[in-house]
Amino acid sequence: MTDPVLSVRRLTKRFGGLTAVNAIDWDVYSGEVVALLGDNGAGKSTLIKCVSGVHLAEEGEIRFDGKVARFGRPIDARREGIETIYQDLALANNLDVPANIFLGREVKRRYFGGLMKVLDDRAMLKDAQVSLESLDIKFPSLTQPIESLSGGQRQAVAIARAIHWKARLMIMDEPTNNLGVPEQHKVLELIGKLRAQGVPVILITHTLPDVFAVADRIVVMHRGRKVAEKKTTETDTAELVQYMVGALDDFPDHQSAAQ
Amino acid sequence: MKKSVIALAAAGMLSTFAPQAAQAVDIKIGFLPGVVDPFYQVMQKGVEAAAKDFGVEIVTQIPPTWGVEAQTPLLDALVARGDLDYIITAAVDSQQMIAPLQAASEAGVKIVGVDTFLGDGDYAEGPVTFPMTYIGSDNEAGGAFAAQGLAKAIGNKGKVYINSVTPNIASVELRVKGFKEEMAKHPDIIVIGPDYNDDDLNKATQQTAAVIEQNPDLAGVFGSNVFSAQGAGNAVVNAGLGGHVQVVAYDATKDAIEMMRLGQVSMALAQKPFDMGYLAVAFAVADHAGVTSLPKRLKTGFAIIDATNVDDPNFSKFIYQ
Amino acid sequence: MATPRASAAPLAADSISTTKRLIIAASRFWPWVFLGLLILFFIVSVPMFGGATFFTLRNSQNILVAITPVLLLGLGQTFVIISAGIDLSVGWVMSLGSVLAALAIRGTFNLGLPLPLAAASGFVAAVAGCMLVGFVNGVIIAKLKVPAFIVTLGTSFIVRGVAFLMSENTTVIGLPPGIRDYGNESLFYFVRGEGGGFYFLSKPDVSGEMLRQLDRILPWPVVITAVVVAIAIFVLRRTQFGRHTYAIGGNQQAALRTGIPVERHIIKLYVLSSATAAIAGFLSTLRYTAGSAVVGDPLLLSSIAAVIIGGVSLFGGAGSIVGTLIGSLIIAVLTTGLVMLNVQAFWQYIVVGVVVILAVLIDQSRDLIVGKSRTGGSQ
Repeated sequence: MTDPVLSVRRLTKRFGGLTAVNAIDWDVYSGEVVALLGDNGAGKSTLIKCVSGVHLAEEGEIRFDGKVARFGRPIDARREGIETIYQDLALANNLDVPANIFLGREVKRRYFGGLMKVLDDRAMLKDAQVSLESLDIKFPSLTQPIESLSGGQRQAVAIARAIHWKARLMIMDEPTNNLGVPEQHKVLELIGKLRAQGVPVILITHTLPDVFAVADRIVVMHRGRKVAEKKTTETDTAELVQYMVGALDDFPDHQSAAQ
Repeated sequence: MKKSVIALAAAGMLSTFAPQAAQAVDIKIGFLPGVVDPFYQVMQKGVEAAAKDFGVEIVTQIPPTWGVEAQTPLLDALVARGDLDYIITAAVDSQQMIAPLQAASEAGVKIVGVDTFLGDGDYAEGPVTFPMTYIGSDNEAGGAFAAQGLAKAIGNKGKVYINSVTPNIASVELRVKGFKEEMAKHPDIIVIGPDYNDDDLNKATQQTAAVIEQNPDLAGVFGSNVFSAQGAGNAVVNAGLGGHVQVVAYDATKDAIEMMRLGQVSMALAQKPFDMGYLAVAFAVADHAGVTSLPKRLKTGFAIIDATNVDDPNFSKFIYQ
Repeated sequence: MATPRASAAPLAADSISTTKRLIIAASRFWPWVFLGLLILFFIVSVPMFGGATFFTLRNSQNILVAITPVLLLGLGQTFVIISAGIDLSVGWVMSLGSVLAALAIRGTFNLGLPLPLAAASGFVAAVAGCMLVGFVNGVIIAKLKVPAFIVTLGTSFIVRGVAFLMSENTTVIGLPPGIRDYGNESLFYFVRGEGGGFYFLSKPDVSGEMLRQLDRILPWPVVITAVVVAIAIFVLRRTQFGRHTYAIGGNQQAALRTGIPVERHIIKLYVLSSATAAIAGFLSTLRYTAGSAVVGDPLLLSSIAAVIIGGVSLFGGAGSIVGTLIGSLIIAVLTTGLVMLNVQAFWQYIVVGVVVILAVLIDQSRDLIVGKSRTGGSQ
């Protein structure tokens, strides 16, 4: 197997007396979709936040593309190509699709020898269209504020944004929440496209059908520890639930030394 | 707007039946006072009385607050009408209103100044000469009268406090000057202030209340215009000192007179805003008729009202109501 | 595992219909329509009841001059409110600017500086001094996370006190007389009637009757304001700064996460707001040849009204400079028209109040149609 894109070793994060993430070992490879499962409070979000630069872990090591990574701020992770799509999507509803895709990284044209920098809306629109086409997403209008789009369409914009900036790793937190069935389909389809382009996807979800629809591997967390790591084809819903509630544990002695 | 249609119809009908009460003079005069307050309301009555007697039309606009940004747009709009021959106005600032009023004058609208003045008020020899005239009280003399009255009321010794409007209204400042100069002749009287209330009644009350707090031996208070006097008087009464702290009010509003009847205000200087308004219109009419010997300064008088004559109709008619 | 490529069709059909999109567009243009109707109303009614003509050259210039302070205050305010903040200090900052400008002009002229440089020093003093206020506002709002409403209210009192202090509680007078021309003369002149004509830059030497026919077209304060407005429109629409302002107003969290330096941006916004207020104060000093610590007092609420009427949502994320311009024009046209109709000018407050509420209702109903969800925090 090739080297993992993301490699996490004995990652531990504590909040006061609570150990939210407990000595997690984990690899994510190019071109795969890994589902991260666990009940509420299992530590999935915290683990993801450590990877994406929101939190700084106390112990352990994160390697990205083979190099040790220390992400002090979210923007550091983003610069390396780790794109996170949170539940609230981080989109500006009052701006249109290209504006959202280029948010924070707008394309400008210079005039008067660099004295005046003007937004190059035409270039951004064209670039956005190219990206959207590659994902086979169509919107009724690219120049209307996205507040008028449906939930699924907005997910698509968020994903298109990540793709556009050549994400090396995509993290998605509950992407099909609040979506109608056809829209859920479409989102899963997009996840498949990401994988086809070689971008690994970490999928946090409570929706087990989604896991079986699109994930290659599954990692289950319980109370901060990794309790299972399986190929999707090698398990089923009932077994996963057992892991999630703590009835089953594949790594019973694996935890942080300080416990 | 309905009213004017009816009025027009009525006037039309009357003119065919009744002989003219007065020879209607074909001029339109604008009236732009300083702000909404009892003093200018009485002035408006004078203006309207003269308008009726002379048969001229008056266009009135009253700024809601005291300030150049409130008065200037109204001035510009009045001038833009294009049909005003004169504007009677109380400029809200002696310096800032020079440019806008001069522009009005150059546009062909003659300016009749009432109550306040531009520059130094000397429209004959002073720095500002474009207004036709300045009709108003002799403010410095008024301040002196107020000082005399207050000095007498407090037995010629003690602390007195001045509450005034803003240093930018030259006419009011002259009252303060007159007051201070007169008080300087009384060596046993100490003058505190003035504080400036920006023509805000509440502020005047608060400022005076604070001074009363700090100076339990305060003997007298002088409020230099309508709101200053009213506010200062209120503060004295609220502190339970009505009758002990003597209050002299420049401008005799109904409230001030009420307080006088209760023994809380010892003297009120009534200016004669009715006269100012009436005379302003008369000046415009005379000027239009070709009179050229109109004085550039017309001093209107005072009625000094105190407990001895407050019920005398010869004096009480000068109360602003 | 991937679903077949059947979906070249658009994602889900529940984006809004054309009718609704038309309504939304209409809701954006209503201020224009209202202004047009208002002007039409006065053009028709003024000759009937007032006997004058409403749309004269002189009147149009009066209106442009009248909107200058409110519009300038509204410029910075537009940026700030789009970012979901608010600046309640602009009125008093304008006064401070007026005082600083007057002191600087008087001081430098008395030191021997030629008039144009003295005037320029007034501009610099006003803008520099007031930008400091904006900086303080911005830092407390952005870094200490105190709500903008409270911060700007607080600083406005301090600013007012400072303005009184520096002006020694009186109008700052004694400015060189030439300053008055900067504030009142114009780019063009037009003399009506016989022997008249059109003049550029140099004031025709007329007096008496001819002087009465002289109209000043585009007084300097209007020219300066126009330039500032043009710059503001450009910045808001066509630069990254403007784009980020909208983004922060639309969803501050999103802006943060996409790497926009939100704190720094917010500080810049309040500096900008104070700067435009300072320019308004500077122009006021030129016009009235004096600095005044109270000149901006009545203007704060009018500037906010103009911004709201112009379509800026108080929740942030929407609005334009042109909208604020329309809002200012509506207020000024209303005042002038009422005076010409011989109606007491205070009616303008009632009408403006109704229009403001109308504007907010239209804004709300627009959001209802779109089914907008409010994301991101406001300041």
